[in-house]
Amino acid sequence: MHLKTYLATAAVAALSAGMALADAQITFRFNDSEREEMRAALDEFEAANPGITVELQTIAWKDSRDQFLREAAVGQGPDVVHIAFVWTQEMAEAGIVKSIEEMTQYGEFPNGFDDFIATDLTMYDGKAWGVPWSADTWAMVYRTDVLAEAGIDELPQTWDDLLADSRKIKEATGKTGFSFAAANQVWFPLNYYLWSNGQAIVSEDGAGGYQVGASAEELAAAMDYFKTYVDEGLAPRSILAIDVPHDPALLQGLLDGSQAMALMPTNTYRQLLSAYEEANPGADVPFASGVMMGGSEEPKTHLGGRTLVVNANTEHPEESWKLVQFLTDAGLFEKHYTNQFPAQKTLLGQIEYRPEELGFSEQLANNTRTWGAYADSGAGVGQLWNLTSRAVGTAMSGQASSLDAANELVGEVDRLLEN
Amino acid sequence: MKLTPTARDRISAFWMLLPTFLILIGFYLYPTLYNLELSFTDITLLRLRQGGDFVGLENYSEFLTSSSFLDIAINTIFWLTVVSVVLRLALGLVVALLLNSKFLQDIRMTTVARLIILVPWATPPVVAVIAWRWLFDPTHGAINSLLLSTGLISDPVAFLATLTTVWPAIITIIVWNTTPLVAVSLLAALQTIPEELNEAAAIDGATRWQQFRFVTLPYLMPTISVLGLMSVIWTFNNFVYVWLATGAGPGTFTNVLATEVYLKAFVDLRIGYSSAIGVVMAVVMAAFGALYFRFFGLSEMQDKVG
Repeated sequence: MHLKTYLATAAVAALSAGMALADAQITFRFNDSEREEMRAALDEFEAANPGITVELQTIAWKDSRDQFLREAAVGQGPDVVHIAFVWTQEMAEAGIVKSIEEMTQYGEFPNGFDDFIATDLTMYDGKAWGVPWSADTWAMVYRTDVLAEAGIDELPQTWDDLLADSRKIKEATGKTGFSFAAANQVWFPLNYYLWSNGQAIVSEDGAGGYQVGASAEELAAAMDYFKTYVDEGLAPRSILAIDVPHDPALLQGLLDGSQAMALMPTNTYRQLLSAYEEANPGADVPFASGVMMGGSEEPKTHLGGRTLVVNANTEHPEESWKLVQFLTDAGLFEKHYTNQFPAQKTLLGQIEYRPEELGFSEQLANNTRTWGAYADSGAGVGQLWNLTSRAVGTAMSGQASSLDAANELVGEVDRLLEN
Repeated sequence: MKLTPTARDRISAFWMLLPTFLILIGFYLYPTLYNLELSFTDITLLRLRQGGDFVGLENYSEFLTSSSFLDIAINTIFWLTVVSVVLRLALGLVVALLLNSKFLQDIRMTTVARLIILVPWATPPVVAVIAWRWLFDPTHGAINSLLLSTGLISDPVAFLATLTTVWPAIITIIVWNTTPLVAVSLLAALQTIPEELNEAAAIDGATRWQQFRFVTLPYLMPTISVLGLMSVIWTFNNFVYVWLATGAGPGTFTNVLATEVYLKAFVDLRIGYSSAIGVVMAVVMAAFGALYFRFFGLSEMQDKVG
């Protein structure tokens, strides 16, 4: 009787242990809109890795940083998390992600970690803490038939050209020339404007520290530039309440041909092209992309993208790392995650661009920069972003003069840099 | 030792109330004290594990002397709270009187009208804001279409992005969503007023206005004062309407205390500073509640006891 009991207990214990090893359930938090495609990819991963199941979670991008910080601080959170490039150092500083050095004990990448771009943004305390997953940047998008209707046969090259063409389009066709999301994400065009004129929100001070990289007058001039579009009625005032470039109110104008020019990231452009082709099967695609506007210097946009990090609290580091390796494989970008560019040099070199996407290709290859001093200064890109967008909003809405808003911004950025 | 009946009652009451006290301590007192503790530190969301350093009253002083404090205070107290609560109480009273009127009974529409008035209240605030954002939309919104078609405006108005219209637009959403609760509560109070009082007043020669002023309104005052207190506390602390409608913009034009708490905690990641704003909000509401009961609630209770 005793022997039977022991055997039964041992059998149950062995079975339980076996199940624990075989049935690792991990959670992947993924914040882009391609949820169905990602689920299909994860089904393939599960089929190739029996015993690992992956729960797919999605959260809005704007909430994802805080949510993960809060969860991980109390020992919770998903195992693998999709974050922005510029959050990686913050996550490492908070001690809530595992280092790549620790994770590579479970396996290396086919072309090594050095094959990834922007690895400098994942470095903290001499170690890398995340895997750059997808790369993107913003570029200009044009509705070529509207430009032709207004008699414009050359794409604008400078911010001044862009404004002049917008006026011309308004006058000739009554349509909107250039329009943009002027609330939260006005951060991007404002920075592009500053960078193309040799300025920045934060720059190195040449003595190992950091400073506000533009005077209040220069910042006010940049705000005034974008304010002109609203003040002159070249773009609708409602853009002051639009946060993101994929807002339907912005994309609709490009889709129905009532707007000629916009700026947006790669995945939004690909979604725009798909939406147009779906609505107009077989028709020519009247879109082109081009490099961002230049100022007194060359045009520049940010080299952005997403990083994959492994939660320091994970109970399944090996399985999590297998998932990270799967997600960075070329096959994923070819088959499932097709709106994004991979963040690996070898894979980026293999991309075949559509003719409409050549502007993005050129922008990504030759006209990008990282956030650099913004991230390194310790001021926090998120805080700089919030302060800048708010300041531009107060100027554009008329709540304060551009110079007052710029002075306030300089003071706040100074305070962040001092802290 | 033999306990007196009073002592036995008190002990029984204590044991019966103990679970409630424990819940209040665990879910209200402890978080409140923890929030107070955080407000004296420089803890950030990035340093939750390490904790923050004690900074005394620095967070309070920074907030109360910041250049944005006055704007935020005016937005919260005047626009968000006073204007919306006064409008809601006034409209709620009008709707309640209408729902209780003989006119609706005569045309047999009382039940239908009462059901219709509940629709906005049954709409979750998030859904209400999203629906109104579409209504206010300059390009496709029904309100702009209506105003344009009737010739009242010549160009579409970006209601939620224009300084002169953004607060009225937010208040419209709040009042639409919350007035039914006030109306239904006042309707219930209206139905407790003895009909004989109005009949006696009418026999004494009181006009309709005098009947309302000296009979109906005094009966409704206890309900109005409780609804007023609840509405003020609920609205003062409300985050959803402003954040979803405008994100505190354009710029910072509609920033209120609740959105400032969110921005400081979850955009700037300054949990300590944000906790200090939360404490300020709690102190303001506690002071308001005490004064309110001093002038309305306590005297009403004394009247009833007396």
